[in-house]
Parts: sequence; C-alpha cells; structure tokens
Amino acid sequence: MVCVDAGGRIVLVNAQMVRLFGYPREELEGQLVEMLVPDAARAAHPQHRTGYMADPVPRPMGAGMPLAGRRRDGSTFPAEISLSAIDTDEGTLVTAAVRDVTERQCRQDDLERAIRNLETFTYSVAHDLRAPLRALGGFTAALLEDCWDALGEAGQGYAERIKAASEQMAALIDGLLRLSRLSRAEMNLHAVDLGAEASRIAGELQRGGLDRRVSFVIQRPIWALADTPMIRMVLQSLLDNAWKFTSRRDDALIEFGTTPVGDARVCCYVRDNGAGFDPAYVRKLFNPFQRLHTAGEFPGTGVGLASVRLIVERHAGHTWAEGAIGEGATFYFTLNAREIA
Amino acid sequence: MKSRNILLIEDNPDDEALTLRALRRNKILNKVTVAHDGAEALELLFTEGSDVPPPGLILLDLKLPKIDGLEVLRRLRADERTQFIPVVVLTSSKLDEDIIASYRNGANGYVRKPVKFAEFAEAVSTLGMFWLLLNEAAPEFVHHQMEGRHP
Repeated sequence: MVCVDAGGRIVLVNAQMVRLFGYPREELEGQLVEMLVPDAARAAHPQHRTGYMADPVPRPMGAGMPLAGRRRDGSTFPAEISLSAIDTDEGTLVTAAVRDVTERQCRQDDLERAIRNLETFTYSVAHDLRAPLRALGGFTAALLEDCWDALGEAGQGYAERIKAASEQMAALIDGLLRLSRLSRAEMNLHAVDLGAEASRIAGELQRGGLDRRVSFVIQRPIWALADTPMIRMVLQSLLDNAWKFTSRRDDALIEFGTTPVGDARVCCYVRDNGAGFDPAYVRKLFNPFQRLHTAGEFPGTGVGLASVRLIVERHAGHTWAEGAIGEGATFYFTLNAREIA
Repeated sequence: MKSRNILLIEDNPDDEALTLRALRRNKILNKVTVAHDGAEALELLFTEGSDVPPPGLILLDLKLPKIDGLEVLRRLRADERTQFIPVVVLTSSKLDEDIIASYRNGANGYVRKPVKFAEFAEAVSTLGMFWLLLNEAAPEFVHHQMEGRHP
C-alpha cells in the first residue's frame, strides 16, 4: 500500500511495497509517486492523479486497462491497483493498494493457449476425421450397390457391418464436437417453463412413434432460469432416454416433475418404468461415451447423459440417478443459475 | 437451353469420386470440372482465353490446399465475372463459425457432407437439381456468359 498526498508525494509505504518495488523505504518517502510508474505511462500520470483528487471515490485504477509497476532496477510487472482516499489533518491522502498479478497473467496466458489448442483440435476433428469415414461408408455402399451378386451373402453382411460402423463413428465424432461446443458456448439465462418444453418434446415423441403406447405425466408449469437451447437439450436427452429404455414395455409410463431437495432452487426428475440399470454402475452413467447397455440391446453413443451433466453444471446444478435392472430409472437435476447483476 | 457445367472444388479424391458417382446415379449429366485446390480453381475461372465455360454451379469444399475455400469465395464475389455464380459450400464441418463465415463471404448455400452415402447422394442430387434446373440465374451473369462466349 502506498499513501500519496495532494501534491503526488509519497507519504507512507508498507513493507510489502518495499519488497515489491525493490526500494528501501527512505528512497520512496517524500518522492513523487511517478517514480513507481513505468516510463511509457509516467508523463500522463500527474493528470490522472489530479483527476482522482477531484472525485476521490474508491475504485480500481485504469478503467480496465492493463497496468504495470516499475521496480527500482527499471523492470516492470503487471499490476492491479485499487484507489481510495482518506481525509486527515494534513489534507486528503490517496492510498493505492498495488498487487503484482504476474502469476495470474501467466495462468491466463496458459489458459488462453489451451483454449486456442482446443479450438484447433475441434476444427481438425470436425473437418478431417469425418472424411475417411465418408469414404468407408460411401464406397461400402457402392460395393453393395454395384457388386451385390459378386459379394455373396457373407460379403454382403461384412459390407453392411463396415457401413454401420462408419456411421456409428460419425455419430461419436458429432457427440464429441457437441460436448466441446457445450462447454464453451455462451449462456443467455431466461425464465423457461420446463413443463411446457417437456410436453412439446413428449408430443413429438408420440407423433414419431405411433406404434408405441406410452403415457406421459408432466407437471406444468415448472419455471426455471436457464439457457433455453441448452435446457431443451437436457430435457430432450432425458425424455429420449426414457422413451428408448421403455421400448420393451406396453404399459410404458414417463413422468416429469419437481421434488423439493435441500436448498436447490429447482430440482426436476424424469422417471420411467423401463429397463433400468444396475445401480453398481450409477457413478459411470454420466461419463462421456460410457454405456451400460450393448448396442444390440439399446442403440446409442453415450453422449446424451454426459451433455446433460455438462449443461446442468453450467447452470450451477448437479445430476444424479436412481434405478434398478428391470425396475425403471429416475434422473434428477437441479438448477441454481442466478441472474448476473 | 444450353446445359450448364458444374465446377467441383475438392481436394479429397474419395469425396471427388463419391460426388461424381452420386451425380451420375441421380442422372445429373451436366459436365463436371474438378479443381483440386483453391489455386487451381481460381486459375480455371480467371485465366483469359480458357476454354472452360463459366460454370452454372460451384460446389466448394472449405479446407483446401494452397488457397482455402473461404478465400476462393471472397475472390469469386469480388470479381464481376463470377459474382453471381451460385456457390454451395459442401464440406465436412458444421461448426457454427464455418457456416457463418461462409454466408458472410457470399455463399448461396451450405451443405454438410453426410457420412451415410444415401444421404450424401441425395444432397448432391438435390443441389444439382435446384441450382441447375429450378433456380433462375442472375441476368447479368447470363449476359456476361454470352458476351464471354461469343465476343
């Protein structure tokens, strides 16, 4: 902390400033504070100082611009400085609390580099990884169309498997890209009626599966503060799952509602009476690409629940599940997002 | 009406073969010229006295060697000889930033190459059908094409 009088002279420094700037105390006190300002910013500093004296409300220095301090040896360091004023018998004194943010700056640089690398990676996955799959799928389809007889029954079966595998891998890549996009996407919070959204999705499922007999029980309204496209994805994944895992029942029941839990603002559940899962593996359920059923039993990529967890966590909530084999499953999520003032 | 050519700008030989096969199978018999990178495409389009007539449709991949798809698109739109030629981006990615950048630079459409061949074939044939048969090309472009062909 540095105390400066109305004329810009240093009145008082604490031990931390002595350490930070590398001056002995006696070389600082009585001198103009500009000696601590880097050369490039020094000329303009007295004017800023006078400006602050005219309206000395506590505030950070620099209006968001990057600041730096100058050490005795002439070197500089990135700094964060907050200003305030105190009235004394000798007039108004301005105190500046100076913090060296070198380490934070480094961490931020590292983080930005990591994000750039991730974006390059995502770009490459989106552009390059699908191309060989298209060739696999496309030429296998060509083989089936043009050489059907020559392939024979076994050959046709093998070709079908290659085609299906390339399509499955394409779905996995899309899932990977979706997860990566979700973790970076900007959020816009609005009041959303989750009950209305769930009803809409249930209607679509019913229309798309006229051969199924499924009852939906949906609580309405359920108001929550959420990013609309993201929360729709959560409801879509959970209801799709419930729909998929009840496919072997002719008395399927899917419920969506709320239940009071702890101090959560909203806690919702999606319950079904479908195939359920072995509770021994409940901890793995939300992991990316994790599946508890074989593709032969129920198709899928293992991205749905991972996306659900990612989105819910971005809404300051959490997810968990209950279930047993053959006795259905219940998926819970809480939402605690608040409007940022 | 004179049938118009398609210019396919595609560096991947597999995608090239699949696209050509899809067009053939869907009875789109317009002549297809293939450029294998952005530089070759620009050379084909802008070389004076080239015997390749201006195409009625350009199918453009984004990730190309030498000059990438977006740069090709920018140069096509900046030149009055090619500014109105329909360009459909036909690429692997459906990243938001690729789609936005394509439209911002004047693409007429954006189609992601599907992995399922049946869908891929349908996408390619729908594109040819729409842009070469149903869509009315800009009169300036037709005028220019005639001028260029019969000076």
